[in-house]
Amino acid sequence: MSAEHMDRSAEPLIADAMNRLWEKFLPQLTERVSTLEAAAAALAEGTLTATGREHASADAHKLAGVLGTFGLNEGSVLAREAEGAYLVDPQTDAAVISRLAEVARKLRAILASRK
Amino acid sequence: MHRILIIDDEDDIREVAALSLETVAGWEVMVASSGAQGLARALAYQPDAILLDVMMPGMDGPTTFRELRKNPATAHIPVLLLTAKVQASDRLRFADLGVEAVLVKPFDPLTLSVQVAGILGWE
Repeated sequence: MSAEHMDRSAEPLIADAMNRLWEKFLPQLTERVSTLEAAAAALAEGTLTATGREHASADAHKLAGVLGTFGLNEGSVLAREAEGAYLVDPQTDAAVISRLAEVARKLRAILASRK
Repeated sequence: MHRILIIDDEDDIREVAALSLETVAGWEVMVASSGAQGLARALAYQPDAILLDVMMPGMDGPTTFRELRKNPATAHIPVLLLTAKVQASDRLRFADLGVEAVLVKPFDPLTLSVQVAGILGWE
């Protein structure tokens, strides 16, 4: 089966079903973005623990894997950036701290942008 | 009709992949949410191929793959790894395990089955 021979009649079915799955999983996706927002805030306050950093990296990884599947490719790119930043210890780098807060804000906006 | 087993701890990915393979390709799909559950379902269900997530709590994808290969009843089943890791070094490391292919997440639900069919040589 090649892409040229793909059954295009499935496209509207998939689009409808993906919209339903989006509604179903939006609370879960929002919770993951909340984790990143909380981590960025804790980072700015100097209170982010190793466990908090691991949670942030894990949730960013999950967002990176799924957002593009819902057509939100920029969201996957941003989440991947956050995953990489939280894998190392970003505590001392002011530019990274600021960027991670921005990434979390952008991810929140991206979730809100999908209808 | 091809039969596919999806092993992934993330329910959103599982459901999107299942939707894609069922709706676009018309394949029969079974899912498992952990490596251990995947091993049991692979044994019982004897799928034509397995989509296996790399990062899972407990038994991760590479470990699950090695367990599948150890068992003569599942050793022959082609396995495609699914990963959100995009670094070439990660993908090479996973490919070296002996899997059929490494597919990167996020995937396009409209073309996932085309990708899988192409890799496995399915019509």
